[in-house]
Amino acid sequence: MPDIHQFNHHAMATYFEVRITGQEQTYAAQAAQAALDLLDRLESQLSRFRPNSAIAQLGGLAPGEKICLNEPAFACLEIAKKMELATRNAFSITAAALQTQSCLPQWSLLHGESSIRCESGRLEFDLGAIGKGFALDRMAALLRNWDCPAFLLVAGGSSILAGDAPEDAAGWSCGLGDDDATQRISLSHASLSGSGLAVKGSHILDPHTGQPALQQNRTWALADTAAESDALSTACMVLSEPEIKEVLTQDQSWLIFIESDGAAQPMGSRALPLQA
Amino acid sequence: MVDPLLNRREFIATTAVAGAGLLLEACKSDSGKKPAATKSSLNTINFALVGYGEEGKVLLESLLNIEGVRLVALCDIWEYHRNEGARYLQKLGNEVRVYENYEDLLAKEKDLQAVVIATPDFCHAPMTNTCLKAGLHVYCEKSMSNTIDGARSMVHAMRETGKLLQIGHQRRSNPRYLFTLNRLLHEAQFCGRITAAQAQWNRAVKEDFGWPKKYEMPAGMLAKYGYRDMHQFRNWRWFKGLGGGPLSDLGSHQIDIFNWWLGVTPKSVIASGGLDYYKNHDWPDNAMVIYEYPLAQGVARAFYQVQTTTSSGGGYFETFMGGDGTIKMSEDPSLCAIYREARATAVSWDDLAGKGYVRARAASAADAAKVDVRETAQLAEYEIPVFFNKPPHQPHLENFFNAIRGTAKLNCPGDEAFSSEYTIHKANEAVAAETRIAITAEEVKA
Repeated sequence: MPDIHQFNHHAMATYFEVRITGQEQTYAAQAAQAALDLLDRLESQLSRFRPNSAIAQLGGLAPGEKICLNEPAFACLEIAKKMELATRNAFSITAAALQTQSCLPQWSLLHGESSIRCESGRLEFDLGAIGKGFALDRMAALLRNWDCPAFLLVAGGSSILAGDAPEDAAGWSCGLGDDDATQRISLSHASLSGSGLAVKGSHILDPHTGQPALQQNRTWALADTAAESDALSTACMVLSEPEIKEVLTQDQSWLIFIESDGAAQPMGSRALPLQA
Repeated sequence: MVDPLLNRREFIATTAVAGAGLLLEACKSDSGKKPAATKSSLNTINFALVGYGEEGKVLLESLLNIEGVRLVALCDIWEYHRNEGARYLQKLGNEVRVYENYEDLLAKEKDLQAVVIATPDFCHAPMTNTCLKAGLHVYCEKSMSNTIDGARSMVHAMRETGKLLQIGHQRRSNPRYLFTLNRLLHEAQFCGRITAAQAQWNRAVKEDFGWPKKYEMPAGMLAKYGYRDMHQFRNWRWFKGLGGGPLSDLGSHQIDIFNWWLGVTPKSVIASGGLDYYKNHDWPDNAMVIYEYPLAQGVARAFYQVQTTTSSGGGYFETFMGGDGTIKMSEDPSLCAIYREARATAVSWDDLAGKGYVRARAASAADAAKVDVRETAQLAEYEIPVFFNKPPHQPHLENFFNAIRGTAKLNCPGDEAFSSEYTIHKANEAVAAETRIAITAEEVKA
């Protein structure tokens, strides 16, 4: 097994890991540090808990008002909007707003001026289910620019993004489920995200009702990017199997696993990764 | 609504305090229309950003929020950073001309009014002086220079040219700092007689900055710009001749707050520090400093520590302690706090709250008809009632551009910053000399 250098960091209220192989220790450490510095910058720009982040400022927009966004916030919201549309709002970054408002607030992105406009309601954004994935995607781009293509990035254990496989391996061994899960896949050049009720209980809200999502016990989503897999796995928690199948028709690169009879059952036309 | 308690200076420094409407006014987009004029004017100030490293990136995020200014050129000696900046701006629809060398930039950009400098400390004096003499207003990051003479030359150039020189001690434009200083410390005399101050900036162990191998600068280019190698270029803060070490890099902000809030410069400094952890740096990686401040009511001692090997002790803050109370300030609002001594009865919390100088922390009394009986309750807690939600550097940059327009006075002009600069350099001297160093009121002036 080749040397795998592992670096840990706390951000976005969870832990992150950067694992790099195929590089000597010092260079791997410096590349990882650069990626983790980027993560910290992204957190300061995307967190609703940072009073001077762009996202925290959105709550003050009245309908019809707009505000300029920094590049990462705009890019992340573009993906969020795409995933809201693709999942017919089963994924929504404004789901929590239903606890204080009667319906989901509406918003538009104004391309060309990097702005967001509030259309109705009060914009209470929570990028928790997509921000971590977005950060992983940006960190991966940085590592590739550092010529460190063989990496595995982990966000809180619920999202991973794999680059090149370690030498002499088909991919990074990823378990679907609890520690040392028996059902494992070899992952490279893809992201896998998981959502479920086991760790944090019924914490995912159905954006259609504002009530806890109870359709599935556990879901996993595999996609090319971590932002998409993050959003998809969350969306699938509130979707029925027929609805998931319909969502999957929109993108052949998506693959969903839902827990059924204690095993993760795949759905979608993307080729299954090799078993690890 | 703007908080009516903010005076004009506090208001101009912030333009976004305690009110979403005002915030949006400050940050809203320009309806998608780029300013029609291309010529620099007071309505649209053309400026260049020199240096797109770690600090340059931070400043850019603030600069892009400010209306009435246009970034037209970006300069960095490292192609990697230069292209990164240009690509980033291009994504935002902001095309800029890029330069490796600031002198080329000055030669070719003939429609500039200002320059924002975020380069290593040893570049500050030559760049600032050249830009001032070229007729430009300059915002220069702290520290002013890696040498006292360099910093002094910047003040002289500012005076000779009559151009503005703002030094990047951004807390001086922070509305929370301004409000607390003016209202609580000065007006309400919240601390009573100040007898001590304490500040710190502790950071966890961190890997030195690296660089993608394929973007390594040639040795000749590094030497041309004053660097021994790439490691030194990327980590200039820790090398003598380039930066001033942690006391300068981190401590300069907070030692400047000592001087600013206490209203005088210290009469002496003792310090201890060492290069005890990192083996490939020049400057000490830790330092503990004690200044003596000759206040009107007696001496106040101010302790400062900077550690680059532990984040222990609650991060970064400045605390002012007096007979009646204590104020703890930080750029991080969650670290700010105010304490009142039991003996301080002349002015009550209620009086201060009534004036809007403090605010009781929200209590959970949702239903006034109910009461819960449990353990003895803690005393009510109060907080500083000023919050702002711009990036921390934005008010200071806005203050700079407003000063160019003539609608504000600089919050940290070069001559005022020099006094702090001198004080910080003396701390580094005290560490090296391992002895008490006296500082006169005269020598801190440029």
